[in-house]
Amino acid sequence: MHDAISVEDLHRPAVVLANEGFVTDGRSAASNKGMPVVRIVPETVPCECSIKEHAETGIGGVMDQILEALVNPLTAEEASPKRKEAEQASRIVFKGDLGEVNRFFYKRGWGDGMPLMPPTEEAVREMLTGTDLTADHVVGKIEPRYGKATVEKIAVNAVMAGALPTYMPILIAGVEALTEQLAQLGSYGTSTGSWTPFWIINGAIRNDARVNCSSGAMSPGDIANATIGRAMGLIIKNVGGARKAVEDMGVYGNPGRYSSVIGENEEQSPWEPLHVEDGLGRDESAVTLFFPNCYSQIWQYGSDDRGILNTFIYNLQPGRGGLCCLIMTPHHARTLAEKGWTKPMIRKFVSEFGRVPAYRHPSFHQGGGWTVNRPETVAPGPMDTVAIIPNPSLIKILVAGGPGAFLGLACGSGMVGADFVTKKIRLPANWSKLVAKYKNLVPAYEKY
Amino acid sequence: MNAGVEGSRGAASYEVLSPWANVDPVPLRGITPRTADLAGKKIGLFSNRKRAAELTLTAVETRLKEQMPSVETTWYTSTRINTPEALTEGKARFEAWVKSVDAVVLSVAD
Repeated sequence: MHDAISVEDLHRPAVVLANEGFVTDGRSAASNKGMPVVRIVPETVPCECSIKEHAETGIGGVMDQILEALVNPLTAEEASPKRKEAEQASRIVFKGDLGEVNRFFYKRGWGDGMPLMPPTEEAVREMLTGTDLTADHVVGKIEPRYGKATVEKIAVNAVMAGALPTYMPILIAGVEALTEQLAQLGSYGTSTGSWTPFWIINGAIRNDARVNCSSGAMSPGDIANATIGRAMGLIIKNVGGARKAVEDMGVYGNPGRYSSVIGENEEQSPWEPLHVEDGLGRDESAVTLFFPNCYSQIWQYGSDDRGILNTFIYNLQPGRGGLCCLIMTPHHARTLAEKGWTKPMIRKFVSEFGRVPAYRHPSFHQGGGWTVNRPETVAPGPMDTVAIIPNPSLIKILVAGGPGAFLGLACGSGMVGADFVTKKIRLPANWSKLVAKYKNLVPAYEKY
Repeated sequence: MNAGVEGSRGAASYEVLSPWANVDPVPLRGITPRTADLAGKKIGLFSNRKRAAELTLTAVETRLKEQMPSVETTWYTSTRINTPEALTEGKARFEAWVKSVDAVVLSVAD
């Protein structure tokens, strides 16, 4: 849609052909760019179609509409569109009991389907104790709507998610990460690929905020892991304006979008923590973001170094070819380190030997799709092998998880220009008091 | 945390803040007036490199020339996939191409 608007801005008529399921998405994208009246012709060519006859049939049915869109005179609205949405929304939007508030938010499309905590003045004020920034400070503008992520809007969404004020520094750094160009939220947040924001927390804040780095870190049950990701999901939706099946066109969706948050078990890792690799100090805290669309766990092929590494290289799935996080337990990491493996060596090994015959990875063989502008990845022939992860820099290594012999893989895409984004977390002056106030909120499981 | 006040029916009542963000309003623009007749015109076909784009636009090109033989077509393929052309190194080439045509047909191709 951006290209069509560029054409119109150059004073040439543009006609956009969109599969009928993408017209609303296209209209929204056009509105965000200030041109809500771009002419879009809905067609029925199957998505990502590679069959000539299907394309011809899909276009044959709408050819008259295409011609009309090229020649029909403009309506008054097309010549001079009028704004429909109020430019500044009300700050207070509703008053009611818990059920009424939840139903109101749900009907406005502001929830995630789960019950929400009411973002009252009092609750938001308490959430704001987690930052020294003023409520009206704009942390960034979030795509696709470029909504202004003020500290107060972050806090409102954090309250709704059930987050604690000690998570505010993480959420603010998370918003900074989302607005970083390298994160490519504008693509991943609206793509058909159902990419999920995957958050890795490093530094002392993991312990202060009780971010789980160990057993079941990715499962429900820890307030921090559950609500940090949930709050970020609400922020993406309510501040960024990426709403399911309107702007977010994920084909199947992704359960990881409820919350994918994990801390690195730095204390039991033999290597430098992830954020230190990215240039931050060991005494600093950070959040790292990338957008995988699958998370799998694989039983180790052996408990020695080759068994661990072979598990990774034989379970990388072709078809994505991009950012990838290898997740291993402290025990796995120590086994590798004792055999002399460093993080750079592991990255190089996995990129080098995680290979498939080119015919099993046609986009890399043929030079299309993700290999555009990466001619060095194109195989000479179908029986040559290609690296599934074409560059070691696309791989991160995370030490986390509890006792057990499973390894984890979070696999993202090879979108050109996308990368992991790490942001430093800044703590408020009252941090120690704040931590003391909330740190003892832990479940006490009864034995049975 | 998050205590409400007693409502009329005994349930706590909550006055809640909006989570929906404000935006800086983008000036609205209309679209470009159309040409009344395509005869003899040059139509640009813009491919964004997605798999369906070339097939879809080829189907358009074929039917366009069948119905209006005097129409000339010219293709442009984006520099990168999933990146607006104006944000790539192909921007100048793209702008020159757009200015060389009378109208452009683009395919979302998702």
